Amino acid sequence: MPAVQDILVFFQTTPALTSPAVAWARYEASKGPISDLTEEDEPPYANALAAMRDGWEVLQMSELKHRSAEEGYDLGPLPYQTVLSKFNEMQEEE
Amino acid sequence: MNEHLISSKQMAQFVASGYLRLDEMVPKELSDACLVEMRDHHFGYLNVGASFEDTWPKGTALGDTFRLPQVQGLIHSLVGPDPLYDHHAAHLVKGGQTRGPDMHQDSVIDFRENYFDIQLSFFPVDTPDAMGGTFLVPGTQYRSVRTGEIHIYQHMRGKIWATCPAGTIFVWNTGVWHGARSNHTDQDRYMYKLRLNPTRPQVRNFDTADLDDPEIRQILNTNHGWEGNEHRYELMRRVQMWRFVSGQPDYDQGERFMRRIEYRPQAEGVAAG
Repeated sequence: MPAVQDILVFFQTTPALTSPAVAWARYEASKGPISDLTEEDEPPYANALAAMRDGWEVLQMSELKHRSAEEGYDLGPLPYQTVLSKFNEMQEEE
Repeated sequence: MNEHLISSKQMAQFVASGYLRLDEMVPKELSDACLVEMRDHHFGYLNVGASFEDTWPKGTALGDTFRLPQVQGLIHSLVGPDPLYDHHAAHLVKGGQTRGPDMHQDSVIDFRENYFDIQLSFFPVDTPDAMGGTFLVPGTQYRSVRTGEIHIYQHMRGKIWATCPAGTIFVWNTGVWHGARSNHTDQDRYMYKLRLNPTRPQVRNFDTADLDDPEIRQILNTNHGWEGNEHRYELMRRVQMWRFVSGQPDYDQGERFMRRIEYRPQAEGVAAG
């Protein structure tokens, strides 16, 4: 089976690669879409750097945000994210 | 009514976490009758924005449930007297039905200050973990997003879900991020949702006897696990809401973060050089 791209996204409250993941998502082409989400109390790695030490490559890290007076206290989505990539062998979809 | 109002500490929890869980609020027989109505007697949207009392059906199990004194006390505490009907829905997750990522925020982006709608989620049957009750992420009610864009948060620290006995009601600020979970049993899961609007400012509608309880400060400061570096900004938003609902426009706490953006020295107070 060919190797295809798996994506792991960490959502953080600071942009550092050592910032704890407070939310996370997997888009794993090797396994297909998630039709039955299993609860997870902890992320697969504490932070992006720990994932990198397990072979994940960083595709994107966040920039610091400029905060104007008008939007300085807006909340909205979680502010920062790191996108990680790893190639894994394709599996049959469940 | 008064004996069924929520306490100030419960109100502080609602302000901080966006929800309250009230176990076995509805008696078993009434819950069973509600289940029958949910299954067999669907009715469509009523007149959105009309008086809840005038609009909500009478002489039915669901009509009686939301008129129970303890439920009326809960509603009054959060949205005050004479609330308006917004919408209702009987949610069904069939036995064996699975759900993928489903985190979302209801309705439209709502920037109204000093205002919130409530939703009551009523679970008429025992809802064990395997049945997959509604999940919530406490504390997210001040984070406005566009409905389903937060599907991308498949997992999040602090997430809770309604694993509860029959008759339990969760009441929550409509801004809380939430979703449905897979039902791994062979029993259908029902949840009945009712949304209500206030008709006047939501100030001191709860029991204020414990308004000065020192524990309120800690409750407002709750860390749900996901806030991280954002906790300060969350606390400021909670303090703003607490000022409003408790009628204490100068309330602040700890390092008094609100003061740091409100303190303005007046020109006349500056000594002439």
